[in-house]
Formats: sequence, C-alpha cells, structure tokens
Amino acid sequence: MRINFWHISSFIISLFVIIPILTVFSSFFDNTSNYYKILKDTFLMEYIFNSLILLVSVLILTFIIGTGSAYLVSFFNFPFSNFFKWALILSFAVPPYIYAYSLTAFFENYGTAYTILKNLFGEGNYNQSIPKFDGLLGVVLSISFSLYAYVYILARASFLYQSQNIIDLGKNLGFTKFKAFYSIILPAARPAIVAGLSLVAMETLAEFGAVDFFSINTLTTGIYNSWIAFDDLAFANQLSFFLLLFIFALFILENLSRRNAKYHFNTKAGFKQKQKIQLSGKKAFLAFSFCFLVFFLSFLFPLSQMMYWTIKFPENLFDLKIIDLLMNTLYLVILSSLLLIIFGLISNYGNRVNKNKTLNILSTLSISGYAIPGVILAVAFITFIAWFDDSVIKNLGFVSIKKVFIGSILGLVLVYFIRFYSLAYNGIKSGYEKINISVDESSYLLGYSKRKTFMNIHIPFLRNSLLFVGILVSLEIIRELPITLILRPFNFETFATTAYISASEDLLEAAAVPSLFLILIATFFIIVTSKYILRDNNE
Amino acid sequence: MNKNFFEVKNVDFKIGNKTKVKNVTFAIENQGDVICLLGPSGIGKTTILRTIAGLEKLKKGSIILNGKTLSSENINLEPEDRNVSLAFQDNSLFPHYTIEKNISLGSERNKEKKEKKISLKEIVDLLDIFHILNKYPHEVSAGEAQRASLARSLIMQPDLLLLDEPLSNVDQSFKEEIQVRLKKILNKLKITTIIVTHDSYEAFYLGSKCGIILNQELKQFDDPYKVYHLPNSIEVVNFLNRGILIPAKVTGKNTLENWDLGTIEGNFIKEYPKGSNVQLLLQPEDLEHDDQSNLKLEVVDRKFRGTNFIYTLKTPSNTMIPVFVHSHHIHQHEVDEKFGIKRPIHIDHIVCF
Repeated sequence: MRINFWHISSFIISLFVIIPILTVFSSFFDNTSNYYKILKDTFLMEYIFNSLILLVSVLILTFIIGTGSAYLVSFFNFPFSNFFKWALILSFAVPPYIYAYSLTAFFENYGTAYTILKNLFGEGNYNQSIPKFDGLLGVVLSISFSLYAYVYILARASFLYQSQNIIDLGKNLGFTKFKAFYSIILPAARPAIVAGLSLVAMETLAEFGAVDFFSINTLTTGIYNSWIAFDDLAFANQLSFFLLLFIFALFILENLSRRNAKYHFNTKAGFKQKQKIQLSGKKAFLAFSFCFLVFFLSFLFPLSQMMYWTIKFPENLFDLKIIDLLMNTLYLVILSSLLLIIFGLISNYGNRVNKNKTLNILSTLSISGYAIPGVILAVAFITFIAWFDDSVIKNLGFVSIKKVFIGSILGLVLVYFIRFYSLAYNGIKSGYEKINISVDESSYLLGYSKRKTFMNIHIPFLRNSLLFVGILVSLEIIRELPITLILRPFNFETFATTAYISASEDLLEAAAVPSLFLILIATFFIIVTSKYILRDNNE
Repeated sequence: MNKNFFEVKNVDFKIGNKTKVKNVTFAIENQGDVICLLGPSGIGKTTILRTIAGLEKLKKGSIILNGKTLSSENINLEPEDRNVSLAFQDNSLFPHYTIEKNISLGSERNKEKKEKKISLKEIVDLLDIFHILNKYPHEVSAGEAQRASLARSLIMQPDLLLLDEPLSNVDQSFKEEIQVRLKKILNKLKITTIIVTHDSYEAFYLGSKCGIILNQELKQFDDPYKVYHLPNSIEVVNFLNRGILIPAKVTGKNTLENWDLGTIEGNFIKEYPKGSNVQLLLQPEDLEHDDQSNLKLEVVDRKFRGTNFIYTLKTPSNTMIPVFVHSHHIHQHEVDEKFGIKRPIHIDHIVCF
C-alpha cells in the first residue's frame, strides 16, 4: 500500500476523533475517589434505571408523534398539510432544555397557566388544579417534542419514495386502509423509522440540559456531577464507559438500518408517483388537529412562552449583552463550520481518489464522534490533555499546554470538531455520491488535472451541499450546551450557556431572552435549509 | 520497418488484482483507422478502454501511441497527459453544466495545436442534439446524453478516441442513421478510434478490423468479413451465433460428406487429409431452399425477420439446421411440413475445425 497525503490526513483526523474513546477505555481501571463507592451503594442503579426509563418513554412518544405526522402529511391532503410538511421540523429550533424551561414556566405555581386562568376567571386557588409536568415526565416531554423531528424527517422521506404501485397492490389484495398501513407502508419504512429512533436514542442518552434542570439522575448527569462536584475524572470516565456501551449498540443498529434504508430511495425503474388522498369533513379536521397540536406543542408553545416572558420582563432584554452573545455564538459557529467543512472535504476527496479499504475504515472511525455524548467528549478531552501535559510535555521540559486547550476557544472548537465531524463528513459524502465517478474520469480525459477537477467540477457541484452542511453544523453548535459549558473560556458566554446559567439559578424569566434569541436564529437556519432537509426534489 | 500508429503489446488487462483479459496484442496501422472490439458483457472490453485511457494501470506489456509509450510496467502517463478521449457508456456529463457547455469543454483541449476541422454546430447537427443544448444532463434522455457525450469526445479531436458502447442507449430506429453519420465524421476528422460494442452488426459496419474477446483472450483480430466467414475457433463461431457445427468426413480436395445432407462442395480454407473427420461450420445462408429437391427436412420452427425467414430444420440424426429464405419467397412452410434443400450443396468457404 502506498502511503500518501490522503492517508496521512485521514489518519490524523481519525486519530484525533478517536482520542476521547481511547481515553474513556484506558481510564476504566484508574483509581477513583470515595464517590464511586458511595454511588455504587446508593444511586448507581437509579442512574441506569432512569436512563432506561427515559430512553424507552422517549422512543415510544417520538415514534407515535414522528411516524403519525409523517404518515398524515405524506399520504393525505387536508387543510394546511403543505404548511405542516415543513413547519413540523421547526421543533429542531427548540433544544430540550429550553422546552423544559417553557414547560416549567407555564405549569409552575403562579406560572403562565395560572395567570391565564386568573385573567379569565378572576382570583382563585388554581395552583392545585394545574397539572405539574416536572421530574421524569417533564424530561420525557421536553426531549420528545424537541427530537421527534428526526423520526418525522426520515419516516416522511421513506413514505415519500414509496411507490403508488405497492399501495395499489394492497388495494388489489383487498386490504383496508389500516391494514395497508401496518402490513405494507409501515414495514417498508421500518429501516428509516429505526434509523430516526436510533438518532433520538443517542441524543436522549446524551441529553444533559433538560435532565439536569429537572434534577433527574441519569448516567449523563452522573458523569457531569462526578467531575464538577467530586472532581473525580476517573469515575466520570468509568460512567462514560457504561454509557458508551449503550451507545455503540445503538450506533451499530442505526448503521445497519441506514444501509437497508437506501432501498427506499430507488425512484428509477417501476416507480410510480403517489397520489395523495384528499380528506374532507371529520377526517380532515382530525388530521389537521393532530398536526396542529404537534406543531403547537413542539414549537409555538415554547416560542410564545419565551416571547411572553421577554415582553413581561423587558429589563432582562436590556440587561443582556445581546451583541456580545451574538458575536460569541457567531464566532464559534463560523470557526467550527469552516474547519469542519475543510476537513470534511479533504477526507471525502481523499476517499474518492484513492478507493482504498484502509482509508475507508479510518473514515468510519472518524465519524463515530457524533454518537458520543458531549459531556463525555468534554471530560475525556480534559482527561487526555491533562495526561498528555503531565506525562509528555512536562517530561520534555516544555511549558504546560493545559491553558491552550482547556478553557480556550481552541479546545472548544476542537471538541465541537470531534462531535460534529460526522455531520460534515456525511453531508459532503451524500453530495459526492451524486457525482458519478466517470464524471471525474471524463474531466481527466479532457485534460483537467486532479486539482482542476476538484476546483472546477467538484466545488461548484457541491456548493449546495457545503452550504447545507455549514448551516446544519451551525444549528447544532447554537443549541449545544454541555461541551460549551465545560470548555468555554472564563467569561465567554453563548445564548445556550446564558440560558442554562439563569435557569440553574432559578431565574427562568432571565433565561427567556437568550432562549428566545436561540430559537429565532435556529428557526431562521431551519427555514433556509428546509428544502434540503425535506428532500422533496429527489436531490 | 513497419511502424504502427497504435500498438497494444502483450498486455494483461486488470481491474485491481483481477485479470480480465490476458496477453493481448493488436495494432492499428494507420492514423484515422477505426477498429471494434466485440465480446459478451462483463468480459473486460471496458477495462481495455479504461487502461488505454490511463484510468487503470497495467503491470505487464505496453501501450504505444504514435511512437510514444503511454503505459508499460514502468511508465504510466496520467490520463490528462495522453490526449486520449473516452466516451463512457453511462452518463458522464458534468451535471452542473448545460449540454452546450459540456460539449464546448471538449473543444478547449488542444486548442492551440489543433486545426479546426469541425465546428460545434456541425457536430451538433450531425448528432441531432441542437434541441437539448440549453438543457442540463438530468433533463435529457439517456440516448441524448450519450450523443452529447459522444459530441464532447469528437470535438476534442484526440489522438485516439475510445467509444464504449457509444450507441447502446440510442433508439433502434435512429441507431443506423447515427452509425452512418458517425462513420462519416470519423472519416472526415481522421480520428483513430477504438469502439467497444456487443452488437456485431455495429462492429462489422464501423470497424475496418474487429477483435473478438472471449474467455479472457483476444481470440481473433481481423477484418469483419473474415471474422464472420472465416472464424478461427469454435468459440468465435458460438459467440457470433450465426451457424452450427455438423460432423463431416473429408472425401476429396473440394468435397465433404455429411450423414444427413450428403455431399458438400466448396473451397477449403485449410487443407485436411482425405478421410479426416471434421466439424463443418454451416451458416444460415449456406443452404438454399428448393421445393423440387429430393432432400427434404422437417420444419421445427420459423422466425420472421422482415427481410427473410429463418427456418430451423431437423435432420434424421436430430441436428437442428438454420436456413435463410427471402421473405418474398412464394409460399411459406409450416411447422412439421417438409422443406426442400437444393442439391448439390455448395459452400464458398469451407470452414472446418
């Protein structure tokens, strides 16, 4: 095998991304503090139990909401069905922790619900009759309404590419609509739905903000606490090890499903465009109500709650250094996106021109970062830098590098890089998959060099994919909480961290302004990219 | 010394580590000659073109164009440095450019040293693609994309043009006309061309020489008439699928004897000693129909092919023999009827194995 530039760069990227996993595994046998013993005897089982309950509940709820709404907008025409088609993905703009703030703000004692009732019916003891969505139920609702869109997008894409032929076949066999749904449509979309649910599962296990806000002890909060409260990195890594095992199982499941899901995107031979069924009367009303309820609960509700508080407590708006927060957020977004796109392009191009198995394996390793919760990545990164500094740098007599990487923009951007590299890599890869390899070869035969082919053929063609990847990564970074929280420089805040800090100090009204800005910016990004996310044009 | 314009010498054509065609040697004598390579699907025809274009490397043998070695064990000129153009079978147009821009990119190559023998307009007219010039590749049919790709390769006026099944996606009704135009244009531009196809009629029409690739080997490389009438192996006969082999005994300098058909006369391509048992190649046009003949065979099938019928006849020893009859022949014979064969049987070239 000839080692060239592409091998080396892919190897470096993969090695870099794999550092956190290696760190977690190698720290497994390190000595831990007493906290481990205390926890093992007391709450460890609770952590695991809570994580499992949370996972199962969220999966059931996101399956019902995501698949149900995708089925309705893909197969039927009803009032506003075209609007819901893209409006249902706006829930991505509301991270689970902001949903949690809204839920609490609305239903808490003397909260928004109380105020509404008071304005409608006058003074009264309403607090007892207002349901409380906190604790585990609150976390389940917050995560589900924020993340069901993963299932919605993938299920809808799969429904969209189901041929009318298979639906006609069902009719021909005399199936009722319900039977056709569960025996033809649903099994055909199964791989896509499982892929969506796997993403939800990974995000749920990684979720930090909402579970922390509702004080639910899960493995993720356990990792954070063992590091923050007990300063026990080794134990944080041991907990991470357990969580990673969970996640690897899901990762493998998701990959297997995704591979099968490709079959449903074949729109060539034998594909017949579906005709949507026009609903009217009661059925149309029910379909509309279901979609509207999902849209309202997932997006309008948190947005209006945050707006209401921003208007009610305008002083918070003026107290906040909006421009600083915006600049900080943009700074991180631009720097990280650029880095991710450049390296994503290099790796993809290297794989394309080299067609080499080793390179392929390295690339697969390098995209595993997305499966690892942000908390683990941040803690493992600190562990690694501390180890590297103590055992290598200091031994060589150099000045400590801890400050360069921990609590610095550089460290933050590097960990974002590890976490979101798979988004960039896969996004660019799916763009590249649309360029037939013979296009490259034609270009060489027309006298274009490899560099000229890359600049004149690939880049113009990939322009849209790159823009899409850039925005997708930006969206993730704007919403990202645990990595930013752990690794940000002193006095460097983003909308996400400001909202978290205010909420954790029980100043929910103050959390509303940064949350509102975060939702608005994220909404803007989603609307810009909705065409690509929904893939209506078979692109 | 006779110097060929293009030569392939003892080359093993491979994809990765998998050998597709072994120890291939052939040459194109003059600049402007067109040759065709024929063979079944998946045999390695495309691999040969890709290797000549420099898209696959070779480990044995050499490829020489106009005195310059393009590939050998030690030399591998990059595809962009060869001035060899390959028109792919599948759509290889640049998806983000219009058809016109795609074609004009071809004319940018060799701009400085090339005398302009043909304009974009001429090529567009010849291939009948004027109506798609402003469209993007995904907006045109597979046949149109293939013609656009052909136009791009032609306008480039390369030293060597490689066409991989160039008309496979073109409608049958239009195909023959395009073949005529393609032949004319290649002749006019004097572009040395290698065409790969599985359509023997296309190969026989376009190529001054044809190569037959079977079982990892170049079995025969000759002019089309000889490939058809004088195949050099049973594999070539079977591939062209236009005749059968029947047992016969050599009875004289110009005669053979078959148990079912009796005496057969003609000119032997290769001499055989009297008394030898051979396999005689019998092609559909070798036998003539004669209602008055006393040599009658049973009809088991009849295919109508427009200009002619192909009757399949069963001999007493159960051999199936194909026979052409002009479709204007006065009466047709039904299955199970008897069918007369003119005697004595005379075959111009007697090919035996």
